[in-house]
Amino acid sequence: MAGGAVLIVVLSLTVISIIGRALIFAGLGPIPGDFELVEAGTAFAVLSFLPLCQFHRGHVTVDLFLARAGRRPNAMIDVVANLLMTGAAGVITWRLFLGLLDKRSYGETTFILQFPVWWSYTAALLGAAVFTLVCAYTVWRSLGDVREAAQR
Amino acid sequence: MSHLELGLWSFPILLGMIFLRIPIGLAMLMVGFFGTWLVTGSWIPILAQMKSLTYDTFSNYSLSIVPLFLLMGQFATRGGMSQALFKAAETWLGHRKGGVAMAAVGACAGFGAICGSSLATAATMGQVALPELRRYGYSGALATGCLAAGGTLGILIPPSVVLVIYAILTEQNIIKLFMAAMVPGVLAALGYMLTIAVYVRLKPGSAGLRERAGYGERFTAIVAVWPVLVIFAVVIGGIYLGWFTPTEGAAVGAAGTGLVALFNGGLSWRGLGEAITGTAISTGMIFFIVLGAAVYNGFLAFSQLPQEAANTVASMGVSPWLVLLVILLCYLVFGCVMDSLSMILLTIPIFFPIVSVLDFGLPAEEMALWFGVIVLIVVEVGLITPPVGMNLFVINSMAPDVPLTRTYGGALPFVLSDIIRVAILILFPTITLGLVRLLY
Repeated sequence: MAGGAVLIVVLSLTVISIIGRALIFAGLGPIPGDFELVEAGTAFAVLSFLPLCQFHRGHVTVDLFLARAGRRPNAMIDVVANLLMTGAAGVITWRLFLGLLDKRSYGETTFILQFPVWWSYTAALLGAAVFTLVCAYTVWRSLGDVREAAQR
Repeated sequence: MSHLELGLWSFPILLGMIFLRIPIGLAMLMVGFFGTWLVTGSWIPILAQMKSLTYDTFSNYSLSIVPLFLLMGQFATRGGMSQALFKAAETWLGHRKGGVAMAAVGACAGFGAICGSSLATAATMGQVALPELRRYGYSGALATGCLAAGGTLGILIPPSVVLVIYAILTEQNIIKLFMAAMVPGVLAALGYMLTIAVYVRLKPGSAGLRERAGYGERFTAIVAVWPVLVIFAVVIGGIYLGWFTPTEGAAVGAAGTGLVALFNGGLSWRGLGEAITGTAISTGMIFFIVLGAAVYNGFLAFSQLPQEAANTVASMGVSPWLVLLVILLCYLVFGCVMDSLSMILLTIPIFFPIVSVLDFGLPAEEMALWFGVIVLIVVEVGLITPPVGMNLFVINSMAPDVPLTRTYGGALPFVLSDIIRVAILILFPTITLGLVRLLY
């Protein structure tokens, strides 16, 4: 939800910036460094969308050969896929954290607004951490599906 | 094992994982991750790359256009614009033989101008047009087939999410690609209408007749679609004229569509929440595939497979047209089981370098635009071919009385029309490139 709010903010910011630029003659101007804010905002928004996508089983899969395999094998594949996803999310989060430390030690800032890049890394890291937790939860959830399928 | 062999082996492994129902983005990420480890012989390069790759990919300014276009599509599906479009098309075309089906295709084309996704176009227009088609006695096969095919116009007519991804992968100008897709998109709509005209004549009884609408009614209906026209003109025209960047254009389009939806009363707080959730899920899905593809493509670059493949094909001395034909056939086959975006992300890094070294008698940039549009069309055919044609599933689920096999059958004539159109576009690149040449 926070990511959605950020997306709306990014959208409004861009529109306001364009209006500002169109009204330069009237003494207004574009929002300085708007594209830097868009980039940072999108990165956070996307990373906070990932857990939502994982939770709603939104990832694209090719459901062709296993469609008729029955519930139990499919539920077991879900467990494996979710385990792998948790691993990937863990690696992404871990490396993102190290990336954050790098950016902070270099003191890298953005070009126009001069805000430290590690700020937006921190926001992104938050999304990645939640993504990992949600992945772990989906492993547990799919294990439940396997058990349920076995009982029938 | 040599680097090249590793690169080659990655395909069967990747496909195996995908067919075992591992999410496509995850499969690409893992194969790329372990592949880079094998090729470089150490964990250091891939781990170092992962430090910044995630953030860099997700904060890419050009990619930020994707969630904005998706949001625009979400607003468009809630804005009541689909009814207005269908009404307008129906009053003008409805009284012809097969006219209501033609109107559905026309309305899909109009809706495609504010929505960049095929599934959303098919689903939204299906809700509006399907009851009307059945009311006027159109057969289940024709009604579902024409809507599934019409849905593919959503992605061909700009704005188009897949074209944005193609533009980023091949470093092409997004707006030029949009312009290049415009005429083929209109041709597609006309081709589908022609298909319907032929179909209802060959199969009498598959369509009923609708009474002719008066001109007063026609013009009122056409006036009602002005928001669609204005939004499309401002977004595409504004980007073309340099008023704003493509990302800003997408933001303007999303805001405009949202306002129209608000005034039409189709957008409550709950609707807004649903629109954002829908956007979020699609965005998460797309960006995860993009991230996986970024890791995988990094690995392919390490393995030097794309360059080697391009050199090999170039030195074989076979006709460029034959190579193109083989590539397009690959897309047709894979399109039957895979979605268009994953396919583009997976294959363009290999196929594009190959096509780039071939001589089609076109300058490099024009070739890239032309190839992109043709690939997009061929990939979209996959959405209306069995066994995995997402558009067919979406439309069929809305018509419970029509068996899925009927919908498959109903879509076939439109697949034929697609293939004929691709052949025409390949033989006459000017059709695709004419508008771009005229404007630049």
